Amino acid sequence: MSMVLEARGLVRRYPGDGAPIRAVDGVDLVVEAGEAVSVMGPSGCGKSTLLHLLGGLERPDAGELYLGGARVDGLSETRWAVFRRRNVGFVFQAFHLVDELTAVENVELPALLVGVSRRAARHRAMELLERLGVAERAGRLPDHLSGGERQRVAVARALINQPLVVLADEPTGNLDSRATGDILRLFGELARAGQALLLVTHDARVASTADRLLTMRDGAIVAQTRLGAGTSVAGLLAGLAELGGER
Amino acid sequence: MRWPGLAVRLAARNLRRRPGQALLLLLTLTIATGVLGVAMSLYGSADEPWNRTWRATNGFHVSFTVYHPPDEPGDRALVAALRRRATTQLTGAPGVVAVGGPWSHLYGSIQIGGGSEDLTAEVRDPRPSEVDQPLVTSGRWLGEGDGVVLESGLAATLGASPGDTVMIQGRPFSVRGVAQTVSRGRFPLSRPAQVWVTPETARQLRELGMAEEGFVLQLRLADPTRAAEFVAAHQSLQTVPSSSSIVPYLETWQQRRSESHSDIDIVAGTLFAAGALIAVLTIATASVLIAGRMAAQIRQVGTLKAVGVTPRQVIVVLLVEHLAIAAVATAVGLGIGRLLAPPIAATSVTLLGRPQPPPLTVTRVAIVAAVAVAVVLLGTVRPGLRGIRQSTLRSLATGPRPPRRPGRLAGLAARAGMPLPGVLGLRSAWRRPGRLLTNATGLALGVAMIVVALALRDSLELLELRPPEPGHAASDAAVAVLYDQIRAIILGTAGLLLVLATLNAWIVATFAARDAARNQAVLRAVGATPRQTVIALIVSQLGACAIAVTLGIPLGLGLWSLMEGGDLPEANLPATSLVLLAAAVPAVFAVIVSVPARLLARQPVAPLLTYE
Repeated sequence: MSMVLEARGLVRRYPGDGAPIRAVDGVDLVVEAGEAVSVMGPSGCGKSTLLHLLGGLERPDAGELYLGGARVDGLSETRWAVFRRRNVGFVFQAFHLVDELTAVENVELPALLVGVSRRAARHRAMELLERLGVAERAGRLPDHLSGGERQRVAVARALINQPLVVLADEPTGNLDSRATGDILRLFGELARAGQALLLVTHDARVASTADRLLTMRDGAIVAQTRLGAGTSVAGLLAGLAELGGER
Repeated sequence: MRWPGLAVRLAARNLRRRPGQALLLLLTLTIATGVLGVAMSLYGSADEPWNRTWRATNGFHVSFTVYHPPDEPGDRALVAALRRRATTQLTGAPGVVAVGGPWSHLYGSIQIGGGSEDLTAEVRDPRPSEVDQPLVTSGRWLGEGDGVVLESGLAATLGASPGDTVMIQGRPFSVRGVAQTVSRGRFPLSRPAQVWVTPETARQLRELGMAEEGFVLQLRLADPTRAAEFVAAHQSLQTVPSSSSIVPYLETWQQRRSESHSDIDIVAGTLFAAGALIAVLTIATASVLIAGRMAAQIRQVGTLKAVGVTPRQVIVVLLVEHLAIAAVATAVGLGIGRLLAPPIAATSVTLLGRPQPPPLTVTRVAIVAAVAVAVVLLGTVRPGLRGIRQSTLRSLATGPRPPRRPGRLAGLAARAGMPLPGVLGLRSAWRRPGRLLTNATGLALGVAMIVVALALRDSLELLELRPPEPGHAASDAAVAVLYDQIRAIILGTAGLLLVLATLNAWIVATFAARDAARNQAVLRAVGATPRQTVIALIVSQLGACAIAVTLGIPLGLGLWSLMEGGDLPEANLPATSLVLLAAAVPAVFAVIVSVPARLLARQPVAPLLTYE
């Protein structure tokens, strides 16, 4: 498998009362194409900050970052944006949908940004919403959607451009078991398409569906656990099955 | 801590938490109250010096003047009849305690500089008069021998002193003295120039070709406050056959005083108009500032209610906060007025002594305070009522309200092929209709002020093009000085209006960028470039700007039509200027919005995503 994402000595500090707080403290990380990696750790350990750094939403104070073989930590804001729209899909814990756009318009937005025609973007967006079970809500504004529906719209938006890597922060945090299953099934397809998934979660069952589990504490990765060599898809499906069994 | 103290403390905290906004509000308010304060202190600042001269000269309470154009023969018999009738009817009227005149007026010319000016020579018995005995400021009053007494404004214009010679009707006459009166305005703003002469000198002047132009009769009453009543009772004296060129008129001392300081009144009037325009724009600035922090203010109302503060007490906190700013602005404005009015009034050529600002009456203070009170109401009523009407929980959660339905305009624009950033901008444009309307109103006032400023500029150009009147060089020079003052005020006002309009636009842009911060970050997170987000933000604000241009231009023209006339020449703004303005305003506004938008686009995305 080829390497999709590599971080070397990634550091992010925030000003503190005395010495700066190292939110991310020298993280080294490699994610292969088709690999699903889950990140767990206590609140405030730096999981979300790591995700933001990997997606270029924040700049590291030190370290190097490679995505798709290209070094990206020094890109300008504009180049990062252009790179991100094609290669990175974000799922935020707080959804972060654009309030003024309907569900389907939110989903098709990244596709329109990369220059896909309106018709093709709409078709692909509707297809994703269909698979996530929210197609009938496509014309609604985010304010008129439930938390779970918003989360699924956010996931669809992250996937529309078939990015190299999907960075998901608690993507199932607001979902019931059925919706969680839909999303994990969709994530499972990423691996088959050679896309990578980095998943921050507090839910051990969701985390266990990944190929690898990273445990973070005080900004550093303190443990890496391979959940089963070459079983990323199987792991996800197994997780799905388990979740499905609970329904 | 007791409640009043707590209210003051909370209000002080609010002000300290937003010192920039509080200072901005205070500054714009103070500019408006300051200009209004100067205007208010200027109005009537010449009254007390006038009163002093009036008392010192036993000035008239009622004056009856008959004038007929000297270049038309007029009806001598009618003038003589009027003189007899007036003398009989007025001097014997109940309430009259002293009479001056009637004194004949001769019309001629006096040489000033290289040219000549119209001159009235008032023929006086050298003995002191019971009414309007001019106050001699240098030299001697009329008496034995030759010579004329110059009205003080004429003497100042000529630079003449007792002993000098002046040329009247081409013949030299010695200056006996210089005197002040309130019976006519000071030369050169008041024309014609005036000298006092004895009957003997008048005879010489008649021989030199000076013609009779009428007479004046002056009265003092037992009760000066009944002067208007007296005039009303003798209106019949002002009636002459319509075919006659004779102009008889009765005048009260109050009327004369109010017309004696036309230059000060014009300057004060111009300043008042300027202050009113600035006040309007200040209120617009305040409204966009207050609208910008409405959500935070309503949240605070919710918090106060949550801890048990009553709705009335909530209003008190908001009132104290805004009253503090308003009170400071009013006090500073009035202070500026008291300070600046005397030196401005001292430049007047109509002043009879040192200017003295009138006492601060309730009306004058109320006029200056009105703008500040308007801001207090704006800042208190809306957030107060909204915060009180809403449930405490809803007040606490108040933030930018999400849209209720997707914007159709953006959909149409997308189908028409508008680039994505433009479509995104249109989507955001109608997100907060209340804010959009407030911003549009603020900007519309700014546009209106620009229209007024352009019209003022054109009006000034017309002033400069106005041809000088032949034979009135001294008067024209004095008028030119007055116009220079007005021009300076108008240009200063136009500049201030532009600055305030730009400031309004800047505040609108800054708040718009703050409101859009989270959405912009989301757009960037999904791959929009900073440039695209800047364009989206600019487009989202152009709606308010379009409304502002549509409303502001007619509003400005309407305001100008109210202002022009009187002392300002009529200026018709060409349509091309208005079209250029309609195109330039959105362009300039886009540039202004782009500044905070660019600053926002430079910030990292992650912190903005959590921005509230």
